[in-house]
Amino acid sequence: MSEEEKDRVLDLLIDKYVYGLNEEESLELVEAGYELDEAESIEQTVATLCLAGLDSSSEMPPELYSKLLKQGHEIADSAPARPEEVQPVREIVLSGGRSTWFGWLGWATAAAASVALAVSLFVPRETVPRADVPPPASPTPELQVVPAQQRQALIASIAGLVTAEWGKGNVAELASVSGDVVWSDEKQEGYMRFRGLPRNDGRKETYQLWIFDETQDPKTPVDGGTFDVTDDGEVVIPINAKLRVRNPSAFAVTIEKPGGVVVSKREKIATLAPVKPGQA
Amino acid sequence: MADSILKEIAAGNRTAVDECLKKYGGLVWSLARRMLRNSDDAEDAVQEIFLDIWKNAAKFDESQASETTFIAMIARRRLIDRIRFTSRRISADGLDDVMVEPADRADMKMQTSLEANDAVKALRSLRPEQQQVLELSIVQGLSHQEIADRTGMPLGTVKTHARRGILQAREFLGLTNPDRSREVHA
Repeated sequence: MSEEEKDRVLDLLIDKYVYGLNEEESLELVEAGYELDEAESIEQTVATLCLAGLDSSSEMPPELYSKLLKQGHEIADSAPARPEEVQPVREIVLSGGRSTWFGWLGWATAAAASVALAVSLFVPRETVPRADVPPPASPTPELQVVPAQQRQALIASIAGLVTAEWGKGNVAELASVSGDVVWSDEKQEGYMRFRGLPRNDGRKETYQLWIFDETQDPKTPVDGGTFDVTDDGEVVIPINAKLRVRNPSAFAVTIEKPGGVVVSKREKIATLAPVKPGQA
Repeated sequence: MADSILKEIAAGNRTAVDECLKKYGGLVWSLARRMLRNSDDAEDAVQEIFLDIWKNAAKFDESQASETTFIAMIARRRLIDRIRFTSRRISADGLDDVMVEPADRADMKMQTSLEANDAVKALRSLRPEQQQVLELSIVQGLSHQEIADRTGMPLGTVKTHARRGILQAREFLGLTNPDRSREVHA
């Protein structure tokens, strides 16, 4: 990346955390690529500076306070672990199965609502391989440097990539997963980049990607392959679509039994990435 | 009460919920009132923010940020999303608050004020023009063009001051990415 390009990325990151970005700018930032550590340090700086002169002694309306207290107590009561069992961020136990999909919808953001609707209809069916799609090379892609380089090469080599940012699924412990996904219809190639997606115990469970596109009914999204997270920090994972994908509208990662499933119970949706209009 | 209220909440401690609201309720409410146009919007936003806080409590990592900064980050994400979604401008109310040193308060409030003090010190460490641009953009929510119009600075100069000011403040706050630190002094 040239110095000029680095400067542009820095400007976009600053704008993102001071004002927010529009869709065009978000796409530009994803395509340009950026270090999540860099982004986090800028966000922390802006968040700290915004406290300057803030009068934190002002009080919210009593009705609002009472409502928040009730809401917080309900969530605390449903916490899965005792204090001594709380795990560090990277080692948390995946345990979102008790949340119902529609319960999750209650606190999902408005922006994710349309995708949630599509995924609520999501009943993956047995995947039938097509002749024009090669069989998957490996069910558990390596999460090392190579995919990251391949991702950069894809971004640099082709225009018109589909991009989306990971957001909340229905597993409360994974609500802060971030990162993005890039996909090329032309090359049938794509990569997921995650931060905060915890390592999984491959003997007990695996992650599985599902792709919603125009070729398939939302009830039967394309199986994007299973993968394990074996590293902390930022990980880049190649997409391993079992069917040809065209004009995807959303990507969803679920937590399944080892080896993946052909029919998901959709109990644990780790993260969702809706493709915003104009980015497909 | 353990040091981390958020970890206690994640562990299911109801008392920690009460403490969290007492300690950070005013901060979140004040941020929402500063950035949003009316109190109805602010009330809706504060509910969304605290829901995010309860659900993300287990993610708090004290080695990465203070609780106050963590909560401010969650709050700003929600507020910016809301502002962009509704296309409303950040309120310009409360300008008198800016750059005022927090007064002595009870211990709970003082803990919150420590980060506010850091923010004030970081801003004061900047050149006056950088400080002015960051106050107008981050604290008051004015766009770069609006800052240029208000101050008479060329738009490019405003952007340069914003960039260098944030990088220098990042260094002051100990959040510097070494690869970019050279720009602070450019």
